[in-house]
Amino acid sequence: MKKIVIAGAVAGLGLLVACQPAAQQTEAPKKEVTAQKKKLSKHEKFKIALENQDKYQKACSNPVQLVPEGIDIETFKKEMLATVKFPEGGVVGKNIARGEKLFGDPKKGGKSRRGNCYACHCGDPQIIACGNIGPSLRGYGKRGIDPKETYIRIYNSWAVNPCSVMPRLGYHGVLSPEEIADIVAYMHDPNSPLNK
Amino acid sequence: MKKRTLFASALLAGGAILGTAAVAQEQLPTHLKELLELGMHPGHSFVDEGREMFHKPGPNGKSCATCHGQDGVKLEGAYAKMPRYYKDIGKVADIDLRILACMTKYMGYDKNDKKFMKKFNKWSGPYRVPLASYVASLSNGQEINVQLNHPEEKRMYKLGEELWFMRVGARDFSCGICHTVLAGKRIRLQGLPDPVKQKVYTHWPAYRFGSDRMWTMEDRVRSCWKAYFLYVKQWNEKKDWVKKPPPYSEWVIALELYMKKAANGGTIEVPGLLR
Repeated sequence: MKKIVIAGAVAGLGLLVACQPAAQQTEAPKKEVTAQKKKLSKHEKFKIALENQDKYQKACSNPVQLVPEGIDIETFKKEMLATVKFPEGGVVGKNIARGEKLFGDPKKGGKSRRGNCYACHCGDPQIIACGNIGPSLRGYGKRGIDPKETYIRIYNSWAVNPCSVMPRLGYHGVLSPEEIADIVAYMHDPNSPLNK
Repeated sequence: MKKRTLFASALLAGGAILGTAAVAQEQLPTHLKELLELGMHPGHSFVDEGREMFHKPGPNGKSCATCHGQDGVKLEGAYAKMPRYYKDIGKVADIDLRILACMTKYMGYDKNDKKFMKKFNKWSGPYRVPLASYVASLSNGQEINVQLNHPEEKRMYKLGEELWFMRVGARDFSCGICHTVLAGKRIRLQGLPDPVKQKVYTHWPAYRFGSDRMWTMEDRVRSCWKAYFLYVKQWNEKKDWVKKPPPYSEWVIALELYMKKAANGGTIEVPGLLR
């Protein structure tokens, strides 16, 4: 707001000092700047938010919901896999405590909006309030699953199951690659309550 | 201690697995069950408040009753056909928008008066929620009968269906993913109903004891969008989270129309009582 006032003042000064055509020249870009700064209305914001639907979401927006339409499943998976970014330190992070918190902090009854794994999966037997949408993750680390596969599933579940219910947490930036690596570490750690 | 309460709540919500309306009644806490047995539904106070408001004159001296008759006699059954197209406002309206249009068009309330609009939008305000509850209750016992006659109604229904299955936002959600595909499953301990197959619209507006307030379907639909994690540029919980569509917007009304049409034939029983 202040900036606009200052800009206006500067432009005003310019008007006083410079001759007519010069003033017109400075005025044109100024209008553009204010237009950009104009706050979007709630209506515009929501409209844009819906228009942000990507082509993969669009392919999954059919009444079946779980099978992509208009795109070959293998191509779909391949393209989704190509979006997966890996953290520098490897897919198994070092901060297991952070992984636990993101998975769903047991101290807060399993609540964490970021990962929110308990909304759909059971895991730590202490957390009874867990959903039954996804498979139970109890004993996950003992199943001999490659941590890299775990990482990919969390980063972009659609690389494994196109149109899956599971949000593509890394793809959308809900979780960073490092955060996902920490969750992977928590899930594969033999001392994790999931695996005890 | 914590564990014990957790366990108790798990037991309480255990019935949610079946996810039917009957089970929702089972989940009611004892004090609410007792209230119901005594015939004291917490939602009824909203209906009573709405009845009072219905007969109260607006700024130009007209009340709702001036046109719709004492005790809303002319509105009996009106809610069963909503949302529908209204000539006087030129669009499809749900009950919330219809009430707003009546108040601003015929009763002298000012749509540009920010104070009034704030009061109107607010769930605890004296206008929208009580009036919607009252007017809806005038159709109690009648069957929902939404027809798509006007081209606008057909267009809105199509939009509603499209939105129902539209996967969007940082969580790749759609209404359908939870309420069609996963219906009957649980998000944590909360059973997921199927509003399309189960005709849940029959008991909306509903009093929800979880939030201790009356919700119209407008409130319900708008709040659902919060879970989508919609954004303008890039998902960011603090800086870029488009939580809800604006009130009375096409998106909300289209979804209401889609769900209510699916509830055709169900008997209206308002206010509902939900978890």
